[in-house]
Amino acid sequence: MKNHSILRKQEHKRTRHKLKWNTKCKLCIGLSMIGTLIFFVIPYIRVLYYSLIDNQFRRNFVGISNYIDTLSNKYFLLALKNSLLLIIICVPVLILLALFISLALAYGIKRLRATRVAFILPMLLPTASIVLVWRMLFQNNETVLPIYLLFIWKNIGICIILLTAAFTSIEQEMFEAASLEGTNTYQLHRYITVPLIAPTILFTILLSIVNSFKVFKESYLYYGGNYPPENSYTLQYYMNNNFLKLDYQALATGAILTSLLIFIIVLGGLVLQRRYYK
Amino acid sequence: MKKVINAVIITILTVLFIFPVAAAIINSLQFGGTITLNNYMELFFDCFIFYPMFWNSLFYAVVITLLQLIVIIPCAFGFIQAKFRGRDTLYVFYIMLMMMPLQVTILPNFIGLRDLGILYTRLGIILPMIFAPFGVIVMHQYMKSIDDSIIEAARMDTSSMVQIILTAVVPQLRVCIFAVALFVFAECWNMVEQPLLFLRDNKLKTLTIMISQTDTFNTAILSSAAVIFMIPILLVYLFFHEYLEKGLTLKDLS
Repeated sequence: MKNHSILRKQEHKRTRHKLKWNTKCKLCIGLSMIGTLIFFVIPYIRVLYYSLIDNQFRRNFVGISNYIDTLSNKYFLLALKNSLLLIIICVPVLILLALFISLALAYGIKRLRATRVAFILPMLLPTASIVLVWRMLFQNNETVLPIYLLFIWKNIGICIILLTAAFTSIEQEMFEAASLEGTNTYQLHRYITVPLIAPTILFTILLSIVNSFKVFKESYLYYGGNYPPENSYTLQYYMNNNFLKLDYQALATGAILTSLLIFIIVLGGLVLQRRYYK
Repeated sequence: MKKVINAVIITILTVLFIFPVAAAIINSLQFGGTITLNNYMELFFDCFIFYPMFWNSLFYAVVITLLQLIVIIPCAFGFIQAKFRGRDTLYVFYIMLMMMPLQVTILPNFIGLRDLGILYTRLGIILPMIFAPFGVIVMHQYMKSIDDSIIEAARMDTSSMVQIILTAVVPQLRVCIFAVALFVFAECWNMVEQPLLFLRDNKLKTLTIMISQTDTFNTAILSSAAVIFMIPILLVYLFFHEYLEKGLTLKDLS
């Protein structure tokens, strides 16, 4: 009887302790949450509000008319087209190149595998420095080529690292079993390795698409100003130029539309990835 | 034979990736067709704005990296340990936020800073950056594979959360912390938009802004400043690159 009550007491103590532990763990997230609320969530709601009013002074509610304005704005559409072109052209090239290099690193020449960290250097090097070299290489080149190459050069490293890690984590027995069946190298990769690392490939595609929205810095520094050649005018320029004009309505609407676009892309990627796992 | 071809291709690629660094250095040493240190002399002795700007870049990058680690380590730990409704949704929200480009987040940041009255100050550059979600996601992925029994043991010893994190979590996270710190440092060192939009006073601005002002400074100053600007990143990279690969376990986002 006495024993029993001690046990119950201990149990009680433990659940209380556990509760406290859980609360403490929640508090750990708290600091980051507060910052995110102050600098992103609450102002984002205000941005949403700004996108629905006519201007900062009168503050009349105008519904979706800002969105209609933005979506029929010549510059916004040009920017959207250029941003999407960058994704459609560069991301496949980037991923295929990264796949090829990481296959070579993982199975071709293992001794050179250490070089793969060198590929990440472009991502870390300051764009401001690299752009000077780029200007020397492509003197007065007004096409999109320099920016496309800069994008691929910068982003290939992280893809190679993630893909090589995935390739090398595949178990060796798989290959032995497959080679007993008499498959050639192409078939081996086509039917075994690539499907196995499909989630990683999907993630690198997602990461590259998202990073393609971040090339503004490169192109801003390369062209040195707010007015690039027409074929390089991307969404980020549209936003930046409205920032300089402090046109809150255009800015807010542009930010909301861009975030919606990213939201759809990332959500699509996450759903696809979860499906692959189950 | 195949191996030789592969090796040649990889070597060419590696050279291609290091080439711009070499080109920048060679470019900075050229002056009037000869190789001299003239450009550096001009930068060091004639361009005094270089020093405060270099200091600003270093100050922001170091302070942001350290403060961000203080925020993200407990946060990632909390995401692993705490159990509450909506935790997974909150985590997906962090992923979304990580994926948002600066052009989405910069206007909310700007409004947040304006409302707090710290726009156009050093604090305005630092505060929004320390809450970036990137490190939380990377650390969370890494923490899935750490040893729980050490944390359990630490919980027996002490009830202080700070002590548990410092003695049982941080040592296990070493590799990941270095990798994240390297990325955060590089990102802060690289920032262009924030000093451009959140600062007015030239004395508070960073070296990135100086190098982007191609019409204010001559090529001698710009080319040598560009090389000096790369050095801290190259140093940090040389010391920490071995952690990069092991620390980055970002293959799935579940």
